[in-house]
Amino acid sequence: MWQTIKVGFHKLGSPPIFYRVCQVLSPWLWAGFAVSLVIGLYYALYVVPPDYQQSDSFRILYIHVPSAWQAMAGYLVMSILAVIALVWRIRTTEIMAMSAAPIGAAFTLICLATGSIWGRPMWGTFWAWDARLTSMLILLFIYLGIMGLYAAFEDKRKGARVACILILVGLVNIPIIHFSVEWWTTLHQGRGISFVGESTMDASMKPPLIWMIVATKLLFTAALLDRSRNELIEQDRRKGWIRQKLGASV
Amino acid sequence: MIPQFEFAAFVWTSYAIFAIIVAWQIIQPILRRRRLEAEIREEMALKLGESTDDPNP
Repeated sequence: MWQTIKVGFHKLGSPPIFYRVCQVLSPWLWAGFAVSLVIGLYYALYVVPPDYQQSDSFRILYIHVPSAWQAMAGYLVMSILAVIALVWRIRTTEIMAMSAAPIGAAFTLICLATGSIWGRPMWGTFWAWDARLTSMLILLFIYLGIMGLYAAFEDKRKGARVACILILVGLVNIPIIHFSVEWWTTLHQGRGISFVGESTMDASMKPPLIWMIVATKLLFTAALLDRSRNELIEQDRRKGWIRQKLGASV
Repeated sequence: MIPQFEFAAFVWTSYAIFAIIVAWQIIQPILRRRRLEAEIREEMALKLGESTDDPNP
């Protein structure tokens, strides 16, 4: 079993195999994303009743919370890839780590924008410099910093290694975001949603949230594979194997 | 049928932002791949043209 995982892991380090895996998995992930998104949106907009306190504005939760969770989960995935890239020097993981940054930034932007819009009717303001909002804004800046740093290097491998170090430095912000509502008094509500323990969210409101969480996970993975494949094409554009693949599909 | 919500402007603006950013996540890699493939094919065609040119006409 361990040997199979090890062999599979090493095989993924080969650019042509990695390219093929991305090519095969990507359409399935996009299809899964489309299905879960349609079901999630249908429940969120048509089935779930209005909240007794927040009325219909609570429906923003179904895009805000999954995006926020994915922004943080995406950072964790990117950090794992960065560790593998730095320790084992596997180029495909470097490429994946770099490709994860713009997707994570997009989810962070959705979280900040929708949270701000939700805040206006509920808090009376679009923005407050409280711990949760500020730490989330810092996450966006870290993502943008990683993208900028990588783009600044002409030698992409060197750029990826430096950016991977920045990813690991920025990892300190993730527990700060997670525990900010407990460590400081914030305008943002505390943790209330749980799928295993006690939850302040009614069970009838959870199904669309689960579907939207699945949708954002699939979107992240599908976009990651597509962006990684593009980055691989860009880096290996003068190599025979990529020309052979593209030549064959003309 | 579009559902009628209280705070509709806030709800729909949020969903519109989500839709735009998600659409960009789908479209941007497709556009980049098309551009890259076109560039590489152009380079390949140029190289093929160079190699088939007679150096002593």
